[in-house]
Amino acid sequence: MKATVYAVRLQTGWQARYTVDWETDEGVWLDPDYRHGVAEGWGAAAADLPRATGAIVKLKRALPLGEAEAACGQLQAALTGRREQGEAEVGALLQRLCGDAAGAGGKYAKLGELWLGLGRGRREGSEWLGASAGAAKEGCELLSSLSGGKYGRGAAAGKLEAMRLRVLVPLMEGRSLLQAEASALLADRAPGIALGTGLPGLLQLGALFGVLRLGAAVALGAPPRARRLRCRRCGSGEAALRRTACASCGSAACAVCEACLALGRSRACGLLVRGPAPAASPLGAAAAAAGPLAADVCARWGLSLAQRAASEQAVRFLLAESGRARTAGRDASGFWRLSMDRLRTSLNFHAGSLQRGKFSERSTARLDAPYGDPLAIQPRSFLLWAVTGAGKTEMIFPLLDAVLGAGGRALLATPRRDVVLELAPRLAKAFPSRSMAVLYGGSGDRWQQADLTLATTHQLMRFGQAFDLVLIDELDAFPYHGDPMLHYAAAAARKPDGATVLLSATPPAAMRRAVSFGRLPCAKVPVRYHRHPLPVPHVYIMAPMKRWSSGGLTDDAKKARDFSSRIAGRQASALYARIGASLARGAQVFIFVPYIKQIEALVALFRRQAPRWGISAASIDGTSSQDDGRRDKVMAFRERELRLLVTTTILERGVTVPRSDVFILDAHAKLFDEAALVQMAGRAGRSADDPDGRVCFCAAHRTRALAGAIRQVTAMNRLARSGGYLLDLPRDERRIRLGSRLNGVFKPSRRQGGRS
Amino acid sequence: MKGLLHAVYGLLHPVLRQCPVCLREVRGEPAPSPVPVWHPEARMRLDRLCGACATRIPWIWAPMCPVCGRPGRCGDCLRRKLTHFNGVRCAVQYRDEMKGWLADFKYRGAERYAEIMAAMLSGAMERLRADFGGAFDLITAVPLAPGRLEERGFNQAERIAAAVSAWYGIPYRELLKRTRDTDKQSGKARRGRIEDMRGLFAPVEGFAVERQPERSLRILIADDIYTTGSTMNDCARAILQAAPGAEVYGIAWSRT
Repeated sequence: MKATVYAVRLQTGWQARYTVDWETDEGVWLDPDYRHGVAEGWGAAAADLPRATGAIVKLKRALPLGEAEAACGQLQAALTGRREQGEAEVGALLQRLCGDAAGAGGKYAKLGELWLGLGRGRREGSEWLGASAGAAKEGCELLSSLSGGKYGRGAAAGKLEAMRLRVLVPLMEGRSLLQAEASALLADRAPGIALGTGLPGLLQLGALFGVLRLGAAVALGAPPRARRLRCRRCGSGEAALRRTACASCGSAACAVCEACLALGRSRACGLLVRGPAPAASPLGAAAAAAGPLAADVCARWGLSLAQRAASEQAVRFLLAESGRARTAGRDASGFWRLSMDRLRTSLNFHAGSLQRGKFSERSTARLDAPYGDPLAIQPRSFLLWAVTGAGKTEMIFPLLDAVLGAGGRALLATPRRDVVLELAPRLAKAFPSRSMAVLYGGSGDRWQQADLTLATTHQLMRFGQAFDLVLIDELDAFPYHGDPMLHYAAAAARKPDGATVLLSATPPAAMRRAVSFGRLPCAKVPVRYHRHPLPVPHVYIMAPMKRWSSGGLTDDAKKARDFSSRIAGRQASALYARIGASLARGAQVFIFVPYIKQIEALVALFRRQAPRWGISAASIDGTSSQDDGRRDKVMAFRERELRLLVTTTILERGVTVPRSDVFILDAHAKLFDEAALVQMAGRAGRSADDPDGRVCFCAAHRTRALAGAIRQVTAMNRLARSGGYLLDLPRDERRIRLGSRLNGVFKPSRRQGGRS
Repeated sequence: MKGLLHAVYGLLHPVLRQCPVCLREVRGEPAPSPVPVWHPEARMRLDRLCGACATRIPWIWAPMCPVCGRPGRCGDCLRRKLTHFNGVRCAVQYRDEMKGWLADFKYRGAERYAEIMAAMLSGAMERLRADFGGAFDLITAVPLAPGRLEERGFNQAERIAAAVSAWYGIPYRELLKRTRDTDKQSGKARRGRIEDMRGLFAPVEGFAVERQPERSLRILIADDIYTTGSTMNDCARAILQAAPGAEVYGIAWSRT
C-alpha cells in the first residue's frame, strides 16, 4: 500500500508524519466539523486535540509505505535539529528527502526545479509549490487550515469513525497484525463495524490518537543495523527477504519476508498494526502491595515436596520487584548485563507510557521491536529445570495462578499441537473463572482476547507486548529450539517488563552455562513425582546395528564366516536376551533407532525372535513420523496390546507408558544428542508401581553425548538424594547400577565393539 | 569471534542446496529426472528441485486433444461452439500436489515458486512450438482484476509469462484488461464459468501492433491454469477484436 508524507506545525514545532489514509488526516487537521465529531465520538474535548498552528506541507506523490516511513523518520530528524523553518524550507526538505527515498538519480536536477517552483509559489502567493507546471503529481502541496468547510466529511462521519475506533482498540490490545489479519479480526469479533475498504482510515485515526501503532511490516532495523531491512513480525533479516516487483505499491523491489509466509505475507509496503502500548505489568505492583505469599499460592495445588520448592522459587521470582530479580546475577558481568537490560526495558517502557497520551505527540508511534540476537536469553527469564516425569504441568498451575491472580495476562506456549489440545481441558478445569484462548493452526479462538492463552509457538507471531508471563514449555524441542523466528516472536509477545519462564528437562548447554554463571535464575526439580531416583542408563558396547540387523537375512557365506560378524551376532543375541528379560518381567519395551528406514528391518528381525520371548509376533510393531497410524499404535502400546515398539526420536517426549524399559540402539549415532538421550531414557520408570525401569544405551563406542546424558541423570539423582527428596528405602532395595558392573554378562573387547 | 568461526565452518561445510518448493536442504546434485523441457535456463531451474518434488510433477507427456492438449478425452473442446484460439498446450496435470503448489504461489504469495512454474511452463511452450511451429511475435498474460492485483501484489500469470518471454526471446506486452470483477473461478461449475467469462476481457487502450503484411501476427497468451478454456477463449476473442487476422495460441501451466 502507499502512504502520504506530510509535515504539520504544532505548538511544539514541526512534526513529520505519514498516513495510509490522507482523508482522515486531512479531516482531523483541517476540517473543524470533522474534528469536533471525532472528539465527541472519542469522548474528549476538541480543544485537547493538538491543533495545526500553520499550514500543512504535503508531498503530492504517495510513496510505498516502507519508503514513506523511512522518509518521515529522516524528515523528523532534520526538522528537530533546526530552530524555526518556514513552509517553503520544509517543503524543500521534504521533497529532497523523498526524492532520495524514491531512489531517483536526478537528485540535483530535481532540486533546481524545486527552487524554481518555490520562487514562483512565493511570488504568486498561491497554495501550490509544484515543481513544474506540467507535472501535477510531483512536488509539494501547501494546505492551510483556514480553508475549512470545503471538506465534505462533516461531524457525523467523524463521530462514527471515532466510535468504531473505540470498539477496535480493546480488540487490538497486545496484538501485532497485518492489515489482512486486522480485517479478519474485525470481521470475527465486531462484525457490526466490519468495513472493507475503510479499514486503513480507521487504523489511521487510531494512529493519530496514538492508540494504535502502525508501520511497515518489513522496515529498517534498529540503529546498529539501521541499513538493513528486517521483518518486524518475525525478526528475520535480509537472508529471508526477497525483493520483487509489487503491484500494490508500485515499487520494483518491494521486500517480502519468506520466513513467516505461512502466517500471511509480511512486506515492505504491508501495514503492520500493533495495539496500544501496554500498561505497566501488575506483577511488580502486586509484590509491593503485599499480595499473596508465594508459599500460599503454591500450597493450593497439591504438589510434591520438590515440585513445591521449585514452583515457590519461580512464583517468588515472578512476584519479586525488579530489584530482587537483579540480585540473582552473581558475577559482575551477569549483574551488569541484567541491569543494563532492565534499564533498557524501563526506558522502552517510559517511551510507551508517553505514547499513551491522548494524542500522540511523536510523529507516529513507532513499532519498537526487541533487537539483538533473538536466540540470546531474554532479560528477566527464569528456568524451571525439571527431570523427565517430574510433573512439569502441575508446576505450571501455581505460576499461572500467581499472574492471573494479580490481574495479568499469561501465555503458555508449547511447540506441539497435541500438547495444546491435551492441556486445554486441564487448564480450563483449573481456572474455571478465567477466559481462555486455545490457539493452533486452524483453531477457532484465533481472535479471542483472553486472560490465559494456550498456543503453539508459531501463533505468538500475532501478538506484540501482550503478556505479563510467557511460559515456554519444552524449550529445547523442535521447532522452537534454534529457530530465531520463534524466539523473536516469544520475546516480542512479552510485555517489556513481563517475565519469561522456561521449562525443560534438558536445557541446552548455553543455558546450563548461564545458570552456572548465575546469569539465569533457575529452580531444579531433581526427582520424579513418585520420589524414586531416575533410572541410570547403562552402556552396552556392541557392534553397530548394520552389522547384525541384516545378518540373518543375507546368506552370504563369506560374511557368515567373518569373525567380526560372528562377534556381532553373539552381541546381538546378548541384546535379545536382555530384551527377553525385560519382556519376561512384564515391561513394555521401547526400542529407539536413529533412522526411520531402519525400523522395518528391525521389526521383522524382532518378530522372528518373538516365540523365544514368549510373545506373539503381532505384539511387535514399529512407528515413525511418516506413519499415519502412529496414534493408534501408541495407544495399543499403552494398552499393552503391543509389547515392543520400535521407533525414532519422534516418541522421545510426551509419551508416558507405565512399566516400560528403554533400549536405544546405535546410541552413538550423531542424531542422538545429549538431550535426546536423556529424554529417551526418561521414558522408563515413570509410574510409581515400577519406578526402576531399565535403560540401555547400545552403542558401538562411547560418545560425549552418551557420557553427558549419564552424567546429567546421575547428577540429578545426587541432587535429589542430598535434597532429601527421595523416598527412604532400605539400602538393598535401591538399585544403583553402575554401567560396567551390569555389563558383565558378555564383555566384548573395546576393539571389536568399535568402528570397523 | 562467533561470526568468524561460522565463516570458517561455512567453508568446510558441504554445499547444501535448498529445494525451492519444499525448502528442505539437499546435499549435492539430485539425480536428474526426465523433464520435457529443452531450454537450458528452464532445465537449470528444474534441476534445483529435490528428488522427491521433481518426481511428483505430473507432466503431460502425450497430449491427446489436438486443440487444448489434454492428455485424455476432452469434452470441453468438442462442446465449445466458437473457438477463437488456434491451439493451447499445458505443461502438467492439475493434481493434488500441483494444487498445493499453485495455492502456495497464488494465495499465500510464495513468490519463490515463480521461477519453477515458469520453467514448467516452458514444457508447454516447447510442446506448442513442436505442434504448431515456432516464431511467436508477442506473449501476453491473462490479467487480474485491479483490486485483486493490488491485494495480491502480483499477477501470477504475468510473472511466469515474463520469465518465459525472457528465455525464449518473445517480447512481453500487456494486451488485455478485465472489464469487470468476477468472483474467484475456483469452485464454480462449468456452466457458471462460461457464463461468467463472456465479454470479461477487452484489449487495452492503445493496443496497436505493427502489421506484418507478409504473414499473420502470432500472439501467445499465458495463464496458470486451464480448466474449460473459457478464459483463454475470451482472451483470444479480445485480441482478435483488436488485431483481426492474428493467430492466437495459448500456454497454460496446468490442465485439469
